[in-house]
Amino acid sequence: MRSLIGAVMRKEVREIRRDPVTIWVAVALPLIMLYLFGSALSLDVKDASLAVYDQDDSAESRALIDAFPNSGYFRRAHEIRADTEIGPLLDRGQARLVLVIPSDFSQKLAAGKTAMVQTLVDGSFSATAMVIAGYAAAIIHAYNLERVHHAAAPVTVETRVWFNAPLKSVNYIVPGLFGVILMAFPPLLTALAVVREKEAGSVQQIFVSPIQPYQFIAGKMVPYAVIAFVEMLLILVAGLWGFGIPFRGSLLLFLAATTIYVVCTVGLGLLISTVTRSQLVAMLLALIVTLMPSFLFSGFLFPIFTMPEMMQMYTYLFPARYFIEIVRGILMKDVGLEVVWPQFALLLVYTAIVFAVATLQFRKKVA
Amino acid sequence: MIDAGRLAAVMRKELIQFLRDRLMLFLIVYLYTVEILMCTYALSFDVRHLPTVVADFDRSAASRLLAERFRSSGYFDVNHQTTRDVEIAGLLNRGKALAALVIPPEFSRRLAAGTPVSVQLLLDGSNANTASVAQGYAQRIVQAYALERFQASVPEPPVLPVEHRPRIWYNSELKYAYFMVLSMIALAGMMVGVITTAAGIVREKESGTIEQMLVTPVRPAELLVAKMLPMLLVGLLALVPSLLIAAWVGVPMRGSLALFFLFSAVFLVSSMGIGILVATFADTLQQALLMSFFALFPVLFLSGTLVPVESMPVGFQYLAELSPLTHYMEAILGIFLKGVGMEVLWHSFAVIVLIAAVLLAGGILHLRRRMH
Repeated sequence: MRSLIGAVMRKEVREIRRDPVTIWVAVALPLIMLYLFGSALSLDVKDASLAVYDQDDSAESRALIDAFPNSGYFRRAHEIRADTEIGPLLDRGQARLVLVIPSDFSQKLAAGKTAMVQTLVDGSFSATAMVIAGYAAAIIHAYNLERVHHAAAPVTVETRVWFNAPLKSVNYIVPGLFGVILMAFPPLLTALAVVREKEAGSVQQIFVSPIQPYQFIAGKMVPYAVIAFVEMLLILVAGLWGFGIPFRGSLLLFLAATTIYVVCTVGLGLLISTVTRSQLVAMLLALIVTLMPSFLFSGFLFPIFTMPEMMQMYTYLFPARYFIEIVRGILMKDVGLEVVWPQFALLLVYTAIVFAVATLQFRKKVA
Repeated sequence: MIDAGRLAAVMRKELIQFLRDRLMLFLIVYLYTVEILMCTYALSFDVRHLPTVVADFDRSAASRLLAERFRSSGYFDVNHQTTRDVEIAGLLNRGKALAALVIPPEFSRRLAAGTPVSVQLLLDGSNANTASVAQGYAQRIVQAYALERFQASVPEPPVLPVEHRPRIWYNSELKYAYFMVLSMIALAGMMVGVITTAAGIVREKESGTIEQMLVTPVRPAELLVAKMLPMLLVGLLALVPSLLIAAWVGVPMRGSLALFFLFSAVFLVSSMGIGILVATFADTLQQALLMSFFALFPVLFLSGTLVPVESMPVGFQYLAELSPLTHYMEAILGIFLKGVGMEVLWHSFAVIVLIAAVLLAGGILHLRRRMH
């Protein structure tokens, strides 16, 4: 009976080899996607454009202004001369932060009174606006501390960042991308492989042959699982060398998780193929059921803890969530099975259910 | 060049064909309603209720007050208390806590004696954005606490040299939902425009009906216009429910609604232009879909819809300039949140029109070449 699985597999491999476009898509696109998203998807604030309206023009005001570009977060883009220039600069998106220093700034400082400065932040992109406002406050605070060094603040906070000390976005984006990219290609390619046979009608021949549903599924699945696994190794190497992300934990554990996940993604492709008859529907289902949710609802980019309770439950529907948690745990936190076993268990159960349902669906068709 | 009677006839055929395609209609409705609702409801980069563990080694009134300040800020949810280092590490490792506030044993004693003391904040940096925002919040809470203690402790406290009045324009409460709705509307427009057009043309190619169309007296330009107008109409109509969602979320509409529809129309035309481009390269439906699926995916998310274009590497910024989505996104942020009009947005408008014109001219040329 094993030979029947082998026969289906051989047929599938031959079909894949005959279609160089698919191989190209399977190998090159994941790497391109990793490169694009890995280098461009970042919320780090660096060189944000700063417009300065210095009405005082004194040594003190210049010292405060210089602290902004010196921090590395801001770049002096505009000098403002009149109130009316502020609005258009923000409207056109030419300044993310406007610093307004009033004309009595140095005078008040000299008199020992509190001088006011105003900062205007472009809030249209709220995620970076939050970071920009925080940096501005910190710079002004540091300026204050310097001026009143005799009266040091009684309580200070000393921050230590674990797992990603330089706070670089790329260190969490790239491990997350492993989970997303594997959800993009293997399910789709697998689903198309089966649906193509349905469209061509050749699947009827399989139903009347003595082959069992599980044998057909296994034979179809293995070649694509192998492709997916190679895909994963490629993007892992690219991630480690190209982006210099850390790999702190156990490679063995990582490969074990990858194996389960790869089987799971291919299984999802099979499941999609059992409920559709046309390639178009298969593709759209793959888009809506696997790729988009893995991108948006897996904790890849948007943190899960901020979601409403109901949507947090919803994220459990997508195995990318478990896999990304495992990968980040192994790569960034150097944790082992003692910490990520729940995700491992969930991933295993999920995969088992996917295969059970897919086999049942096929059996229904045969009977 | 365009004959009105002929055009109307072809258009009627296309409209019937388009409305008969349940799947595409479902996709359009799904993208413009369910997807927008879910994403707006769930996704944000806001840092609120960050699961936090407090390790209070001091257990004094002063330390409890500081912990209380963290809790009442709304940014940190203190849901664990411990005084064991192992447990702190365990909570962070498991992701049960994303921040830890460690108050040292001599905290209140040193405060009373007037010697500087520092508390420690451990942050899970695995999400760099969350961590850097949380760091800022923690600093502000501790600073406010320190200032208060300081002013209470000395009879004549020195005044703060510089006070800072921050003001956030356009989105004063920094609600991510505002941005998210607009971003999802733009994304939906791009996907609908490209996928429906590419699928529509390639399907005719596959079934061979496009050859029949080409031997009729219909001109290439007429054929394209007839193919695009029904989609444009449906695409614009589909914006209405998403506008209702936007209003329900509370997104301000500070600019002109007419301008929004004008921008949406030219943007839809330009994304259909991309669909035509895809269709000219693809021979089968599968190829067309694979192309629009994978080539589009990066374009979708690297056009300022998820992260600002200016935080990308310079090379990508130039590439993003070529994407009509980048300019459309800028325009709708401007119209809704900033309330600006054509005097500011004419540049974006010109670029979208230019992109659409180039793509359509290419499509017509390609079709004409096939006719001869």
